[in-house]
Amino acid sequence: MKKVNLFAMIENRDAILSALQKTGNVMFVPTADDKVLPHASEVADEAAKASDAIKFLEQHATGKASLLAPKLQVPYEKFKQPTDRSKDLTDQVQALSEKIASLRNEAETMRVQVEKLEPWLSLDVPMEELKPTENTETFAGYIADGSLDKLKKDLEPLTCELVPMGNTAEGQAVVVMAYKDDAEQVKHFLKACDYVDFVFPKRTGTAKEVAADLTAAAEEKDRLAAELEAESVKIASKKDSLCVYYDQLKAEGQRMTSSGQETEKTFHMQGWCRADREASVKEEIAHVTDVYDLTFADPGPEDIPPSVVENSKIVTPYQAVTDMYSIVHSGAFDPNPILAPFFCCFFGIMLSDAGYGVVIAIFFLAALKIFKLQGFAKKLFLVIGMGGLSTVFWGAMFGGWFGLTWHPFMFEPMKEPLKMLILCYALGAFHLVSGMCIKIYVETKRGNAKGAFLDTGSWLILFAGLFIWGMGTPFGKYIAELGAAIIILFGDRENKNIIGRLFGGLYKLYGISGYLSDLLSYSRLFALGLATGVIAMVINTVAELLWKAGPIGIIVAILLLIGGHTFNIIINILGAYVHSSRLQYIEFFGKFFEGSGRAFKPLALETKYTDVTK
Amino acid sequence: MLTLGTALAFGGAAIAAGFAGVGSALGVAVAGEAAAGVMSEDPDKFGNVLVLQAIPGTQGIYGLLIAFIILLNIGAVGGDLKELTTFQGIAMLLAGFPIGLVGCISGYTQGRVAACGISLTGKRPEETGKGITFAAMVETYAVLALLISFLMVNGIKL
Repeated sequence: MKKVNLFAMIENRDAILSALQKTGNVMFVPTADDKVLPHASEVADEAAKASDAIKFLEQHATGKASLLAPKLQVPYEKFKQPTDRSKDLTDQVQALSEKIASLRNEAETMRVQVEKLEPWLSLDVPMEELKPTENTETFAGYIADGSLDKLKKDLEPLTCELVPMGNTAEGQAVVVMAYKDDAEQVKHFLKACDYVDFVFPKRTGTAKEVAADLTAAAEEKDRLAAELEAESVKIASKKDSLCVYYDQLKAEGQRMTSSGQETEKTFHMQGWCRADREASVKEEIAHVTDVYDLTFADPGPEDIPPSVVENSKIVTPYQAVTDMYSIVHSGAFDPNPILAPFFCCFFGIMLSDAGYGVVIAIFFLAALKIFKLQGFAKKLFLVIGMGGLSTVFWGAMFGGWFGLTWHPFMFEPMKEPLKMLILCYALGAFHLVSGMCIKIYVETKRGNAKGAFLDTGSWLILFAGLFIWGMGTPFGKYIAELGAAIIILFGDRENKNIIGRLFGGLYKLYGISGYLSDLLSYSRLFALGLATGVIAMVINTVAELLWKAGPIGIIVAILLLIGGHTFNIIINILGAYVHSSRLQYIEFFGKFFEGSGRAFKPLALETKYTDVTK
Repeated sequence: MLTLGTALAFGGAAIAAGFAGVGSALGVAVAGEAAAGVMSEDPDKFGNVLVLQAIPGTQGIYGLLIAFIILLNIGAVGGDLKELTTFQGIAMLLAGFPIGLVGCISGYTQGRVAACGISLTGKRPEETGKGITFAAMVETYAVLALLISFLMVNGIKL
């Protein structure tokens, strides 16, 4: 990593940043003096608008694009030039969507009013006439359910007329017309029945007429909305240009995230750049302008440079596994080349069915080609696809083909579980020792060879001794004892007190239980393989029983075979991926890994809908 | 004739599939509740959240697996039911316990961890992987119990 300092004219800023964004080689780091650029929020708003417009079209016309659908290919030259047409289109879609929403809203409000009028439909007096006259007062509203009889009795002696209307969830609708002098008393009795006034819509005519009018009006609004929606289907063909527009705005927004330090005419930005891309960055800027100053410096002791790892094509996908745990610390050992073969191998053993392996490899590698996946999805599919190939290998070794056994090259784990466990522990031991060797390598490279030998090498001697002893050579015992002695004597060498040091060393030796549990953890390789195989067998057995049950049974059996094996494959891919990862994270990384690095996130074209081609 | 031993072996299968299934059912339910909550905020996270909900489902599968092997070994699948001695039957019964017991508890607790992972996904979708890893840590013990149950069943000579 090199520290980059860039000085240039403000008028050239966007052009320079665009050029850098295209290749994505520089990560700019904001400083405390940075200002927010004045247009940044406008661009962000416009991007939000475009995003809403795209969502609107997806909802009303085109349908949502599948997650795996290939992205739109746009040449860079075209991508560089935002068009006013797209802006107009965005505005047009926005206006349309607002109009449709408001029409739908109004129609909904009217429908609610119609619903409220329901209990009053039998009222044959126009609504506007339900107001006090010279001698009468009218009450229209709801009383509590079941209180109608009581009210009738109460009102009997008074000069008034009670007309019961419909009954709804809000209560019993009633209209009471009372002589003015008795109105107060009527009110009092009504109150006793939890009376609530009903507010009629401000319209003229009987409830029935008003309801009919409102329904008609609501239908009209709906029709208009539907017409506008049909119009949006016509625009839908232009959705692609909106997608491009959105990505253009997003790219522009990213260029605007930080201003750097500004003077009246110039600006200064700093950041990081990969050491091997220095020349390319210089060239890109020189292409835009010759009024600039660009310097590259090595990181100082107070700097924490971001880290980036580069691997061969086959190993690169496995960075997804490591990055999920933590970004490798800058300058630390990159575990990916060692992790990759182990991950692939463990994945295969955990699935251990050659038939499944073929299906997985074909499906994931084909999906990768067809959908042109990028980024994390691409890595994930590659890891699983390669895992599928490894599954074919291990499945053939163990003789598993879609739950049936056919000619195992090694042995059948179900029949010889002990052999299988030994294989798992052997692979596990190899994995753990690899981790320890990396630790020795890293420490030795840092000039701490003595510490590496005493802290990690001693364990390797102990294990090697135990192994030789276990193989039947008594001499191994002495080697193991030598390793243990080193651990006891030097395990706690910082301790000044000789007794304390020996006890500290003994405690260190107790750490062997940790190694033991690490090793036992690899028995999951067998257990998960078992799960795949036996479930496949269950599916086959049940299908076989169904098969004998006649023609319908045969159909059900076929469906069961397809559905069941698909389910089994999916659930076991999940299991195999997660548990292979875990064996790396806990057992392997625990031995040496230095994480908590900072990811190198350069200013680059991060597009959502489009693929920018050269 | 159905011997006491054979009946006990059925008990082993029942414990394995039954209890582990209960654990998974509880776990998947707890995770599902959390998932529906996250979904109400952001329906786009369905895929991530579904993976997390599926994780506590494996214990039930492990239980099913052991139950199936027991039934297969005693001939309950496919016809000829074997006559087990009482001791063989007790051994089969005991073999069902590790996965039944551990599956039940780890299924439920894994569901709780998965539910937390789902909340984590709701707030920080980029950390879904870590939520999955946390949930997978709980699974370890179900995997070990599965292995022991299998070795026990496999070790009973009929």
